[in-house]
Amino acid sequence: MKHVELQNITKRYGQFQAVTDLSLVIEKGEFCALLGPSGCGKSTLLRMIAGLEEVTEGKVVISGADVTDVPPAKRRIAMVFQSYALYPHMTVGQNIGFSLSVAHASKAEIEKRTAEVATMLQLDKLLDRRPAQLSGGQRQRVAIGRALVREPEVFLFDEPLSNLDALLRVQMRLELAKLHKELKSTMIYVTHDQVEAMTLATKIVVLDNGRISQVGTPLELYHSPANKFVASFIGSPAMNFFNSKIINVSAKSMDIQLGSTRQIKLNCSGTDLKNGDDIEIGIRPEHITIAESSKRVDISGAISIVEQLGNSTVLYVDSEIGQVIVECGGDTNLEIGSAIGLNFDIKKVHAFSTGGQVLPRHSV
Amino acid sequence: MNSRNASRWIGLIYVLPALIFVCAFVLYPFGQLVYTSLTSQSLLGGGAFVGLANYQRAFNDAAFWTALGFTARYTLFITPILMGLGLLLAFLVLPNRKIQKFARGVIFLPVVIGLGTSSFLWYWLFDEQVGLFNKVLVNLHVIVHPIVWFTSADLALWAVIISVTWKVVGFGMILFVAGMQSISSEVVEASLIDGTSYLQRTTRIFLPLILRTILLVTLISAIGSMLAFEQLYIMTAGGPRGKTLTTVYWIYQNSFINFKLGYGAALSVILTGIILCGTAVQLVLTNRRAHQ
Ligand SMILES: Nc1ncnc2c1ncn2[C@@H]1O[C@H](COP(=O)(O)OP(=O)(O)OP(=O)(O)O)[C@@H](O)[C@H]1O
Ligand SMILES: [Mg+2]
Repeated sequence: MKHVELQNITKRYGQFQAVTDLSLVIEKGEFCALLGPSGCGKSTLLRMIAGLEEVTEGKVVISGADVTDVPPAKRRIAMVFQSYALYPHMTVGQNIGFSLSVAHASKAEIEKRTAEVATMLQLDKLLDRRPAQLSGGQRQRVAIGRALVREPEVFLFDEPLSNLDALLRVQMRLELAKLHKELKSTMIYVTHDQVEAMTLATKIVVLDNGRISQVGTPLELYHSPANKFVASFIGSPAMNFFNSKIINVSAKSMDIQLGSTRQIKLNCSGTDLKNGDDIEIGIRPEHITIAESSKRVDISGAISIVEQLGNSTVLYVDSEIGQVIVECGGDTNLEIGSAIGLNFDIKKVHAFSTGGQVLPRHSV
Repeated sequence: MNSRNASRWIGLIYVLPALIFVCAFVLYPFGQLVYTSLTSQSLLGGGAFVGLANYQRAFNDAAFWTALGFTARYTLFITPILMGLGLLLAFLVLPNRKIQKFARGVIFLPVVIGLGTSSFLWYWLFDEQVGLFNKVLVNLHVIVHPIVWFTSADLALWAVIISVTWKVVGFGMILFVAGMQSISSEVVEASLIDGTSYLQRTTRIFLPLILRTILLVTLISAIGSMLAFEQLYIMTAGGPRGKTLTTVYWIYQNSFINFKLGYGAALSVILTGIILCGTAVQLVLTNRRAHQ
């Protein structure tokens, strides 16, 4: 069931166009991540859904009703801000209960609901503290509590974890996932951290310069990026890209040049491609392996940097096609400077046209 | 000399200029004032030590207590007006649109005019023959005949209050605007999402969050009013019949018209004591409320 719908949304700040003709449907109960680099318009989009930012053109529809001109409080949404935006002069309890008190709920009702939410978020011992006396993680929980108490249909999060340290971020990520599972409400979550998006979201919307670059599940984006932007944005370490030339193109496959000696056959193709065309290919570091014998080697080079992460080892290999990043097992033990042969998992190679669009894959 | 001691000396050097300034221009003159208040010093000579005689005299000086009463009344009237109007104006000019920025500038403008100058300006504006203020009121049919402002003590008080309000209300307004603009916009947005009406936002978000500024402006306004002099010297000259004589005016009359410097000094010390007490009470209130 459609829950939040953006219809041809455009947002202009004076001359500057922050969001361009963007349409998006978010289903009821979905955890949707808006992912993209800084300045791509994620916050602007979220704030338009919240009603904090005017929509220049287009419509915002929530639960079938056009809310484009409806004030934020009447949209049945709640928002958690990056800076938490707690009311500094109120206690934790007052912060959580504020929306109820504003709506003239009875004192008993406010106390009951505040206590419920506080228990759920383990804030019950902190109810009399002020925001200044809380740790970052506790403030975060109060901000979530303030959203929860309103029992909204849609939760909006704007980079809620970016002010936390790495450990706490992982912990809060889990709590958010749990929260979504319990409440089953629709959540829209802005982040520039692809790991957060991949782990939390059921649907990821990748934004680039105010436009949707691709919409899909985490694994769809990982396995079949629609373009070079998504391919480079999703995955860590980032995908390798190399320039190449088409040797021989057919309807469903093509042979391309890899380095000076090797040719590989890819099971993808495009209609307006011809032999000799420039093409860009991409492969993820985890889909490159170290060659076991020197017989069949896709590309060879010398190791320039070794990063040992314990559970994996990342090699930066200088080769004739440029730097190749390789992710291999944690117990790999290789010296900087040593020569190495690499094999590509050909089925996992993506090919991109010069415009950056991925070339459709065909099952051969 | 260990490093801890050294850093203490360095710290002293840093505050030395301020310290010298305060000593030379505050502490030393105040010491002199207190000393003078214990003598029979006069502009015509004298200067014998008389102990607390001047203070004793002040206690029995009905004119002094009347002046203090009038000053307190003036302060009690004008301070709420300055605060209320300043806050109201601040809310009106808060949005950062062109017209509001322009209005802020216009309202603030009189603050940079000297109080003496503005008092003269208003003295003539209030004139019953040529005064523009009377003319406007008559033309707007608020009054039938021009008011003679300075023959009644009450009207004169209001004339002074109107002129001083015009002169200083922009000062509080600017501080309030600055206070409100320093409130995080996300906090205000959060309250929007929480469903506050404009009135609720004002009373439950804006006002509590600028409480410190409000108390500060109250303090500055109240002290300024307790020290009122020029505006009344110029506009009413203490009249009619000494009914608009303020404390400082009375001190001035004793010191420089009657030449009794020692007595004037004693009155000044008493006024300083009263203002210090009032300030202390307000500071305690500030810290209690704003620290919660
Ligand atoms: N009030 C404004 N006036 C003018 N331009 C604005 C305004 N707010 C945002 N922008 C511009 O709109 C674009 C999108 O901003 P937005 O805040 O949505 O980015 P974002 O994707 O949330 O980035 P980040 O990850 O850094 O928060 C930016 O280029 C920004 O400069
Ligand atoms: Mg943002």
